[in-house]
Amino acid sequence: MLTYVVRRIGRSALTLLIVLLVTFVLTRIAYRNPAATLAPRNADQQVMDGITKALRLDEPWHLQLVHYLLRGPDIQGAAVGLLHWPPALGYSFRKQTPVTELILSKVPVTASLALGAVVIWMTFSLVTGVLSARRPGSVTDKVISAVAYVGLSLPTFLTGILLSYFLFFKLATYGIRWFPSSGYVPFRESPFEWARHLLLPWLAIAIAEIGIFQRVVRGSMLEVLSADYIRTARAKGLAERRVYFDHALRSALNPVITLGGLELAAILGGAIVVETIFGLDGVGRLAIESALSGDYPVVIGTTLFASVVFILSTLTVDVVTRLRDHASVTH
Amino acid sequence: MSDVAPARATLFLEAPEPEVAGLARSVLRDRSVRIGVTVVGVVVLLAVAAPLVAALVGHGPTEQFQSEALDSSGVPIGPSSSFWLGADGNGRDVLVRVLYGARVSLLVGIPATTIAMVIGTLVGLLAGFFGGWVDQVLSQVTDVVLSFPFVVTALSLVALNRTEDGSSRVSPVLLVIGIVAAFSWTYFARLTRGLTAELRSRPFVEASETIGSGSWRIIRRDVLPNIAPAVIVYWAVQLPTNIVAEATLSFLGIGVQAPTPSWGNMIADAQRTSLYQVQPWFLIGPAVGLVATVVGFNAISNGVRNVLDPHHGTR
Repeated sequence: MLTYVVRRIGRSALTLLIVLLVTFVLTRIAYRNPAATLAPRNADQQVMDGITKALRLDEPWHLQLVHYLLRGPDIQGAAVGLLHWPPALGYSFRKQTPVTELILSKVPVTASLALGAVVIWMTFSLVTGVLSARRPGSVTDKVISAVAYVGLSLPTFLTGILLSYFLFFKLATYGIRWFPSSGYVPFRESPFEWARHLLLPWLAIAIAEIGIFQRVVRGSMLEVLSADYIRTARAKGLAERRVYFDHALRSALNPVITLGGLELAAILGGAIVVETIFGLDGVGRLAIESALSGDYPVVIGTTLFASVVFILSTLTVDVVTRLRDHASVTH
Repeated sequence: MSDVAPARATLFLEAPEPEVAGLARSVLRDRSVRIGVTVVGVVVLLAVAAPLVAALVGHGPTEQFQSEALDSSGVPIGPSSSFWLGADGNGRDVLVRVLYGARVSLLVGIPATTIAMVIGTLVGLLAGFFGGWVDQVLSQVTDVVLSFPFVVTALSLVALNRTEDGSSRVSPVLLVIGIVAAFSWTYFARLTRGLTAELRSRPFVEASETIGSGSWRIIRRDVLPNIAPAVIVYWAVQLPTNIVAEATLSFLGIGVQAPTPSWGNMIADAQRTSLYQVQPWFLIGPAVGLVATVVGFNAISNGVRNVLDPHHGTR
């Protein structure tokens, strides 16, 4: 067990290292002519050289790698990076702030978006999946599966637009303003407003995921329900509800957790789309705006950030499922 | 080694031949497959017929008819006898653009998925067949690629593709094909690796090895034909995902660039200008195209899976 965990962590560390190197190479490509991007118009050679020096682009690549990992380049005399939080990932061309700080300042919005979406999609898919698995082939099963199929076939950006059209624009024409179409209110200011502003974005992400997870829960439940120990539990005269929730669901959860980890890890992709549609100022919005305005260090920083999130969450999920298996074997 | 021995050996230890004809017949009899094939057939037909329709109504995909298709306040007209699905915010024919959009979706989705299939199958074959360090290295590479989130990494690559004066180094369409392929070969690699490793231990492969067939010969003659059906089914599973990937990138403004019509950038136009609230077909047109294509391909792959693995669906 311990060897597995150690090997799994080692593998993730190696992946992380390669990801760091790849993003570093991307910054080297991006920094081919950063002086031109950073300098004011008509800047003379002296200013250009100054910027090159400040960004430490005159140093050999291995030293640049160290700066990339440990501290950002010094601009306008301000030391950035190590003082704040390593790795510094460099310095935003447009916002004149270290990339790490910029990303971390946007994390609360994206994290709120992701967490709420996960709660909604997991709750709905567990309930509908179990309902479907109770009587496969029944009307309930068919209706739920058909709705899940529609959700699964809608791209996130389309779901988002439809939600904002029907639940914001259409309701507003009838004078009902339950759901705002954009904006973010921090949880600490007002939990109610926080949830009200995020409800449509949560649904936009959750709907496609419910479509996927409803099927996974259903399939997994059906498989578990046909197992011998469930028949034994029933034969013992256990109440159906306890058979479902105490016995079956617990074992049926494993594939759900594995896939859930993968989907959650990749949620930033959906967040970019949803934050664009609903005007949320999160990491995804930061990524797309930087990409469109040519702020390379920020784009590459968000790529690295998203990879690290992905690697860490898949690692956690793998270890947790392994521990669960281990516990159920020794049980 | 003479050529005769392996030939005779394969006579006795023939790889298990799946009943291709029978299987194809039951696949085509599946209701879900029939619906899917019909829908996809219509989409392909419309994509092919796009120039014909354009000639028929007399509107090119990027031609603007601001005087005829926009009213005095610049709002696009709805469906009419000359603009069947109405016009967009620039006075362009929505129907013609939706049909050309189908071409873009297929012309990006099909090559990207095929490239991904070729690369992924090759990587999976090597990893699964040779195992050992080859497998370790290739699995590590696959892990690294998988840990780059699709949209964010695509953003980086597209941003780097721009030169200082705003033009692109590589044609955006080629870049999108490349990005989508680069992110989807891993799924083919995983599938192929598993199947190959499983076949590797089967008697007919071991027999081929015993009589001295080279690795490539075994891969080509014994392994590839046996994994091909699964890989091709997976191609149909991956294609709609890749079509949505292209649409998402185009929606975000980093995929197929205006004025070339793509379902993604048309939907983005409709959303950004909010004109779909007065001219709904501006949004419904491309949305229906995209969803129909995805549902069609999903129906085909669902049906095929049901036939190949009857226990997959309802029990």
